[in-house]
Parts: sequence; structure tokens; C-alpha cells
Amino acid sequence: MGLELRDLSVGVGDATILHDISLRVPPGEAHVLLGPNGSGKSTVLSAIMGLPPFEVTGGDITYDGASLVGRPPDERAAKGLGMAFQRPPELPGVTVRDFAAALGAEEALQREASELDLAAFAERDLNVGFSGGEIKRFEVLKLFLQGPDLLLFDEPESGVDLEHIAAVGAAVTRLLKTPGRDGRQRSALLITHTGVILDHIDADKAHIMAGGRILHSGPPRALFQHIQRNGYVAPAA
Amino acid sequence: MPEDILSSEETSILTPVGFGATPDRAATSVLADQEIRISESNDPNVVVLPLQTALERYDWVQDLMLNLIRPDENDHVQQAAERVEDPLGHFLWVKDGAKVRLPVQSFTLLETPQARQFTHNITVIGEGAEVEMISGAAVPARVHAGHHVSIEETYIRAGAKCRSISIENWGEGMQVHSYSRTEVAEGAEQTSNQIMLGPVRHHLSDTKSTVGANARQNDQAIIFAPKGTERVFDTVTHLTAPGAQCESLARMVAAGGIILNRARLVGEASETVGFLGCDGLKLSDAGALEAVPSLTAIAEGSQLSHEASVGTVGAEKLAYLMASGLSEDAARDLIVQGFLNLKDQYLPDELRAQVAEMIGAAKSGGM
Repeated sequence: MGLELRDLSVGVGDATILHDISLRVPPGEAHVLLGPNGSGKSTVLSAIMGLPPFEVTGGDITYDGASLVGRPPDERAAKGLGMAFQRPPELPGVTVRDFAAALGAEEALQREASELDLAAFAERDLNVGFSGGEIKRFEVLKLFLQGPDLLLFDEPESGVDLEHIAAVGAAVTRLLKTPGRDGRQRSALLITHTGVILDHIDADKAHIMAGGRILHSGPPRALFQHIQRNGYVAPAA
Repeated sequence: MPEDILSSEETSILTPVGFGATPDRAATSVLADQEIRISESNDPNVVVLPLQTALERYDWVQDLMLNLIRPDENDHVQQAAERVEDPLGHFLWVKDGAKVRLPVQSFTLLETPQARQFTHNITVIGEGAEVEMISGAAVPARVHAGHHVSIEETYIRAGAKCRSISIENWGEGMQVHSYSRTEVAEGAEQTSNQIMLGPVRHHLSDTKSTVGANARQNDQAIIFAPKGTERVFDTVTHLTAPGAQCESLARMVAAGGIILNRARLVGEASETVGFLGCDGLKLSDAGALEAVPSLTAIAEGSQLSHEASVGTVGAEKLAYLMASGLSEDAARDLIVQGFLNLKDQYLPDELRAQVAEMIGAAKSGGM
């Protein structure tokens, strides 16, 4: 059944950011959210992952039919959700190795870090002094350590230099193609601002967002070309 | 073997606070309740004796006693000064020029519930000597309450280098009063690390140091206050001559308990440099954290600075780690361990894992 958002509204304090969002990401599919800055894309991912300060004010978020609303992030992670953050917090004193050890993923760290050119990062403090590109590469590496079934990516390619973007794309694809827990097909919901990542992954569907609403859904490449010509508006019927 | 003098329970209590087999140490002293249980050296350049024996054997030792602390400084010191019984404590002397290869270890045990223990230790690191010291204090689990008062007078002679680690693990109903005085002479270096983790009802640590010409004192402290614990630190460091330097870093975690850290640097001479760093992390609404750094520059050209911060475990960090699959407790533990930054702390390898375990146990209230 995978992920489903049904008439989802999300706010912070008195402000409503998302309005009646509905979408479904079945197992095995990769979906893309396209939208201008401030359109609410990151809020969608934060609400799915249960991150503060966002509150669900209407509708529902379900994964395999069970509501996630009100569940803390660790319970969502235990159900198979994982997220590559756009701006992860710095954790001084906590090394990448400490973090991998806490997840029981030291072997995965050893195995995957060099693929993302992060082999020398084991003794670095988590996200401290990482460049923009290093943050994105580490967030993808983090998902290898965690091994979720539903992968949420918040602009995985932004800030990544050309030298590494293919590596990030390949890593994202490898994650998607590798079976998840119990051999389950992995799925993804991915935010892209530049669209560059579309050259590296096979996305099944894209959604255009603006003003906290989904304006249109359709084939990713066609929608991205439409946006490049017309901006973030729904194509004419 | 000297270890045979200690029961298996005593060894198991002292091991987490740094006790190692005596062949692996240059010298060992262990004081239990009112008795010196081990006082032995494997190195001819290191003398370890009960203080009373040292007073009888070396006439110069009497001049070091109550020399760095005034006999009338407070009631506890006055009681010690006016005692008619023999003083109870260690005398440690590293001879001039000795480069001591193995660590010197020194421990205090309080094993009788509701006991009152009064100790006086004198340490002399001779001119140009180099030594590493491990010291600790502990009580068995059955001892909940008691009172420990200690006076420490430490002389780091000219050009000597002394690196020390001290781990304390008292009982939840214990009262502890520590009065520590140190003289770091010209060109000497002292690096000290203190780790205070377990619960204690009230601990006052009153420390004063003087740092002489071109001498350096670096100290780091990890201070934990679980529920029901109150720790008060009064630290004053005097930079007394040109070229004196001091860096003092404290990391404090209040997990329901109270920590008050008053630290003062006094620049009495030109060309002196001092820094106080004090970071606090508060894990619950209970208890309190107070950091009061203070700088007094008397001489022109004394450069003194401080940084202090008190914060909580940020919701954003917690959510990030939980979204990665860690439970809230595991995420908090990782953040606290990172805050305490054990990897930058000088610790013998054999103690590192033990201290990490003690931090975990202290945080969860299991100590």
C-alpha cells in the first residue's frame, strides 16, 4: 500500500502551510515534488517524518494503511521511513562512527562511505563543518546506514558539485533498486529544485506544488520541461 | 601481591575509577575508611608513604603541610589542623628529574555507612620530573551516606610535568568537601582531568592554584548531577608571574540535579594568559545549572577571557536522530556523550570505555 497523504493540511502555530494535499506513493515507485521556494515541499517531507514544529491540522498520513499522525519520528523510522535532510543540525562531539555505531551500522559505514567519497569522515563530528555538498552526500549515506523502505529526499543534489552529483544520483538509484526490509521494493518521494537529479534516477511521477497545494501530477520529464517553459503552473488541460 | 590486600569487592569498586594491577603502575596507594591499605612503589624515583610515616621520615614534609592552605581557612581545615590523631592520607613524592614511565595511582574508599573520613594528601613532583597520575574515590553500593573531607596540597616544582586524571563516584546520600591547593612553579606544566559522574547529596569542591613564571595549567572537568545531587565548585587560579598560562574547561550536565560553578582567574602579572570555558546542558526541568566565570586583571598585559553557555538538548537534534531510527533515550544519550566530548578528554585507553559506560548509567539514573 505504501505512503498515502489524504487531504493533508499542516501548519505551524496559527499559520497553515499545506492545504488538502493528496498523493500516493506505492512500493517500488519514485515520485518527485517540484515547486518554487516556499511552496511547502519540505513541509510535506517534514510532516511525513513527524518533525517539529509542523502540526497536522487536517487529513491523514498513512503508511501501509496505518496512520502516522501523532507518532514520534523514531516510530515512523521503525516502520520503514527514512529522510535525507536538506539542512541537518550539527552534532558537535558525535562522530560519524559514533552515529553509525548507535544505529548498529558500522559495517554499512565501512562498505558505503567510499562510494560517496566520505571514507575519511568516520572521525568527523556529525554535520559539523560539512560543506553543502558533503551534507547531501552524508544524508544519502545515512540512509544506507538506516536502510528504510520509504526514502524521503529533500533536494539531494542542491549544493553538490558536478564531480559528485553522478555519485549521489548513482547512490540514490542503488538505494531504490536494492530491496528493503523483507525483500520489499523501496519507494521514494524526492524534492528537486533544479531537476538535475532527474538525469540520474528513474522517477515514476512528478507533482507540481505551489502555495502549499499540489497543482498537477504527471510524467516527471514532461512536467519538468513544462516548468522550464511556463513556470510552476498547472499545464493547460 | 598488593591486590590481595584488597577484597574482590574493593577491586571491583575501584576498577571503574581507574585502579589497575600494581605491576602496571609505578606506585600505588589505597586508603580505605581510616586505614592506608596499600602504599607501595615499584619505582625508586617514586616515594609513596602514609603521610604520618613521611612526616617522621623526611623533616621537610612538615613544612609542606598546611602550607598552601591556611589552617583557619574554614571549619573543616581548622578541624584537620587541630586534630590530635595522626593525619590520615597519602604522601607522594616523585624525585627531581625522574621520568616515570608507568602511571602512579592513588585511591580513596569509604566503606562504612555513615562514616566520617578526614584525609590529607601531600604530593610533590620534583624539579624537571615527569609523571602521569590516576586517582579516584568510590564507595560500595551499600554505602548511601557518609561524610568525606579531603585536603590536598600539591607542589609541581620548576620544570616538572604532571598529567592527572581523577574519577569520583560517591554515594547518593554522601557529603563531600574537597579542599585542593596547587602550586605550579616556574616552567612547570600541569594537565588535570576530573570526572564526577555518580550521585552525591552535596559536594563542595574548593580549589585554588598559583601558576608561576612560564608555567602552564590546563584542566578539564566533566561534571554530572543526577536528581538529588548538588555540586558546588569554587575555583580560583592566580597567574602570579610573567608567562603564566591557564586554560580551564568545564562541561556540566544537570539531569535533575544542581550544579553551581564559580570559576575565577586572577592575572597578577603582565604577559599572562588565561581562559575559562564553561558549557552546561540541562536535561530536565528539575534542578539548576549556574555558571559564574569571573576575571580579575591586576597587572597590565594580563589577557583573560571566558566563554560560558547553558542550554538544553535541542528538539531539532533530537528529531534528526530519532528520524534516523534511534529511540528518544538513545538519541539523548548520543547528544550528551557528544556534549561531554570524551574523545577530546585525556583518558588512559583502559578507562575510556568504562567512563563512557558510567556516563550512560549516570544519565539513566542507574548509578
